[in-house]
Amino acid sequence: MSDRLEVALALRVPGFHLDVAWSAGGGVAVLFGPSGAGKTLTLQCLAGLITPTAGRIVVDGRVFFDNATGVNLPAQARRVGYVFQGYALFPHLTVADNVGFGLRARPRAERIRRVASVVEQLGLGGLERRYPRELSGGQRQRVALGRALAIEPALLLLDEPLSALDAPLRRALRDELRALLGEVGTAAVVVTHDFTEAYRLGDRIVVYDAGRVVQSAPRSELLWQPASEAVARIMGIPNVLHGTVIKATPDRIQLRWRGQILEAVNSPSRSYLPPPEAPIAFFIRPEYVRLVRKDRGPADPHHHMNLMSGLVVADEDFGTTWLLRIRLDAPGPPAQNDWDLEVEVPHLVYEILEIERDRRWEFSIHRGSIHVLPA
Amino acid sequence: MSPDTASALLLSVRVAVLATLLNALVGVPLAYVLARRQFRGRGLVDLLTTLPLVLPPTVTGYYLIVLLGRRGWLGGPIYQTTGWSVAFTWYAAVVAATVMALPLLVRTAKAAFESVDRDLERAAYTLGRSELRTALEVSLPLARNGILAGLVLAFARALGEFGATLMLAGNIPGKTATVPLAIYTAVQTGEDTTALLLVGVLTVLSCLVIVAANRLGARAT
Repeated sequence: MSDRLEVALALRVPGFHLDVAWSAGGGVAVLFGPSGAGKTLTLQCLAGLITPTAGRIVVDGRVFFDNATGVNLPAQARRVGYVFQGYALFPHLTVADNVGFGLRARPRAERIRRVASVVEQLGLGGLERRYPRELSGGQRQRVALGRALAIEPALLLLDEPLSALDAPLRRALRDELRALLGEVGTAAVVVTHDFTEAYRLGDRIVVYDAGRVVQSAPRSELLWQPASEAVARIMGIPNVLHGTVIKATPDRIQLRWRGQILEAVNSPSRSYLPPPEAPIAFFIRPEYVRLVRKDRGPADPHHHMNLMSGLVVADEDFGTTWLLRIRLDAPGPPAQNDWDLEVEVPHLVYEILEIERDRRWEFSIHRGSIHVLPA
Repeated sequence: MSPDTASALLLSVRVAVLATLLNALVGVPLAYVLARRQFRGRGLVDLLTTLPLVLPPTVTGYYLIVLLGRRGWLGGPIYQTTGWSVAFTWYAAVVAATVMALPLLVRTAKAAFESVDRDLERAAYTLGRSELRTALEVSLPLARNGILAGLVLAFARALGEFGATLMLAGNIPGKTATVPLAIYTAVQTGEDTTALLLVGVLTVLSCLVIVAANRLGARAT
């Protein structure tokens, strides 16, 4: 399937350079990254609210901007539905007038019909005559979405659509939004700095950092194969560690770390073959570290891959899970502050194994759970 | 009440109303442009509109004579072709009051436009509105209270204008003598009752203006 959305942008503003290129097929593309990375600026360029210095924007074959040919459609002509951060509802207009704001050029009867259908689709029935200040946060978000959808947009842009809501509502509306975006089928770009939100909403995730794209990938690929240590850090992945390569093949990488020899899987597709003795970054997901049970006899190195032992130096209760901070039985300073690894165990496991009392454990990590980060 | 006193009151109201209307016509678009547009000479326009607020009114009046007097840059050619000059007519009082009141309106209205969330205007653009239609349908209604407060202040300033009016329009009883000028004349000639009456009227009007401006300001959020 060809790309529905092609974006290449360069923009110079005082103190900031935006230089990005990415493309997306159908569905939702999420721009993910820390604040100040240029995500909102990208949306404004897509909407025609800012003119980039150079680049090209094509949506479903329609050229919005191309500095090579001098094309630059004004915002008014792009038919882009934009849901602003904080929603930007017109405070002096009712819900119905907000939703119908973009329909002024259409005949009155059609306008009324379209507003009614959007109000119905978004479950805003009965609120038509209310003003934005009389609505709850969730209702406002729906009105903003309705106003953007009413014009039957060629492209839907959502800037931090959930950040103005409190946590429980946020989760409910996140899943509702995902369903709605799927139902509408319009190409959509969502900006967020929350990885869970990015993962739940996006089909493709484009990772921004300091005005550049550091990775653009389908969401599952991003989750399991961040392209670099920088991406892993932006995603907030715990246990990003540094070791030394012993031997790398297309399928496996053997590495040394904190006096242990670890075996990790390599991905043949990305042909990453660092030479022996090269420094290497990798990460271990806290929920994939296994504690070796003491009531089942001694640990078997053939069964338990990447076996190591250590001490629980701290633990934190996260309600349904516990986070354990482990210092390995190895000489030298620990890898992260006072500890080497963060390990997450379900609450039930914490209770059954009596971790509160028993602090010394052996750990095993399957090689598939050690993810190498290409330099 | 003498005929001159009555005429001063009527003239002052007429001058202040016209000056306020001119302020609305010129000052509101000017305030919008200064708040929202980046262009060359923006700083200069801002400076020129603010200057009458800071300069002594007689200096502003002097510049107005240089511009509009019988031998002025604009007034000279007009006088030569038509034989008419704005100087020393009641129109001159309107011009002087307008110029003196403009900074108050422009500064208040500019702040009101600047306080309108830019995303609201951006939203209107993406929904197909031109910049002009957006200004009329979104920015103006949302800046309304601030603009009205500015107009009230401009009206008060126009009503009380003295120095620039004296320079450009003179102090001709029954023709260009507005209330502030009539008060000056009355004090000079020892007509204490007239002075007291006019002072009282201006004080009451000014109090009303402050109350009105405060109420509008409080609602302008």
